[in-house]
Amino acid sequence: MAKDVKPTRKELMQIEDRIELSERGHDTLEQKRDGLIMEFMDILDQAQDVRENVEGNYETAQKKIDMARAMEGDVSVRGAAAALKEHPEITTESHNIMGVVVPQIESSKVQKSLDERGYGVVGTSARIDEAAEAYEELLDSIILAAEVETAMKKMLDEIEKTKRRVNALEFKLLPELYTNQEYIEQKLEEQEREEIFRMKKIKAKKEEEEAEDRATEEAEAEQDRLTADD
Amino acid sequence: MVRVSATGSNPEYVNSRVRARRAKLFDDEDYRKLVRMGPSEIARFMEETEYESEVNALGSRHSGVDLIEYALTRNMAKHFDDLLRWSGGEMYDRIASYLRKFDAWNAKTTFRGLYSGASAEEIETDYIRAGEFDDRFLERLANAGTIEDAVELLDGTLFGESLPAAFEEYEETGVLVPLENAVDRAFYENLLGGVSGSDEPTKLYVEFLQAEIDFRNARNALRLARSGADMDPSEYYIEGGELFTPNELVRLVGNRDQLVTHIRDSKYGDELSNALDELETADSLIGFEHALDRALLEYSRGLSSRFPISICPVLGYVLAKEREVENIRAVARGKEAGLSEEEINEELVIV
Repeated sequence: MAKDVKPTRKELMQIEDRIELSERGHDTLEQKRDGLIMEFMDILDQAQDVRENVEGNYETAQKKIDMARAMEGDVSVRGAAAALKEHPEITTESHNIMGVVVPQIESSKVQKSLDERGYGVVGTSARIDEAAEAYEELLDSIILAAEVETAMKKMLDEIEKTKRRVNALEFKLLPELYTNQEYIEQKLEEQEREEIFRMKKIKAKKEEEEAEDRATEEAEAEQDRLTADD
Repeated sequence: MVRVSATGSNPEYVNSRVRARRAKLFDDEDYRKLVRMGPSEIARFMEETEYESEVNALGSRHSGVDLIEYALTRNMAKHFDDLLRWSGGEMYDRIASYLRKFDAWNAKTTFRGLYSGASAEEIETDYIRAGEFDDRFLERLANAGTIEDAVELLDGTLFGESLPAAFEEYEETGVLVPLENAVDRAFYENLLGGVSGSDEPTKLYVEFLQAEIDFRNARNALRLARSGADMDPSEYYIEGGELFTPNELVRLVGNRDQLVTHIRDSKYGDELSNALDELETADSLIGFEHALDRALLEYSRGLSSRFPISICPVLGYVLAKEREVENIRAVARGKEAGLSEEEINEELVIV
């Protein structure tokens, strides 16, 4: 129970309003949390596939570049790689999943055709093409993984945050409010009872005084009557 | 820059020296040993062979498989330079014309280095000094500063004619493709240009060069068919071959099946039959490229035996030496990458 709770009706009404608001908030946050968890599970499945893809593509790309370095030579592979300065373009936008802003990464010019890779066609070989192709695929899957895993992390953070809020409402704020409400209600009832008791006391005292006044008046009247009779 | 032969043709002398060199090439047994070794053991093994001086000379600058690779190319350059040194007259011209592939390599290395902002030292490290460009010219190329200056320096070489147009295209597109293609095409088209004579060895030499051009066109056509790139055939088509005309190439690049059928129906069909079968089922072109390399190597070897006093044995030696370098490098790099012995053996082309 909060120490500064004033056991007043106004305070009680305020607490009742807060309880109503908190209960509504709790229900909404619970629904949000459940929704987020469902969305998260979907993204998790996707993220697992994407991660497997990245691992598979990395292994393939590594193997292809190893083979290209073995057969064409390191100098040749480095030379082919140096023949292109242009980098893939990556743009990020954001979209909203249940209030969570997640990135949407768009990439262009990652997968290139043979004439866009910079190196000449005549003097190179299929090994270099295949290594370049494998790395392009790897880059694409890394970009997708970055998008999905960032979304997953953000969703996870949001779920955690929402869960903390739900728990705070459920186990801290609402119980405190209920306790305060009960405390104030008890206090008010007690005050009421004290008031009634006090009123009764006053009434009894008044009645007693009235009875005394009446008895005094009657005694005086009797005295006056006796004096008059004499 | 371009050395001009001063003496008459001397195939007897060159061929006797080449035979001695050829005998020193690694044989099956050496490859079997190499495949079982690790990269450092390969380097040590090379120190006990004719690669000793290159391994020792480069040992302080490079290490591991890089050392092996640089030692291999330096040794190859030394051997090819010897060929040019020994030969004279027509023999020199023909050998030099074939070895200009390394001039093409060096020109492309210059463009790539300048394009990517590499230092002159880095560019020079990657040169293969086996062509006609001498050290001073290569140093000037590496220090050219800009691609435009390098193109100007190359004016007067066999690449000089085609480079200005390619440079304009490069300036429009910003990629090196036109420059690299121009250099390679100039090399291949020059191969046949200087060959004259109607004797049998010359005819077969021309046939061999045509086969090389045809194989190059075939592999590039298949690569383009696979990639789906929409490229003007004039950019990559090498004239001089018999397998395709430019129009045929345009038509066939769009349809891989027809392209394979065209190669199968050509005079190379029998030699490449297995590789073409594999190509129809697999997506990768690597097996097919191996088959082309092997066919070319066998062809040159056949020519060497048929005409021992001609350019043919020298050509056969050049291809065999190049293949040796590629095989040793494949073993060393394969070992470094953790490939199994079977996988490495598959990559070796031994004839």
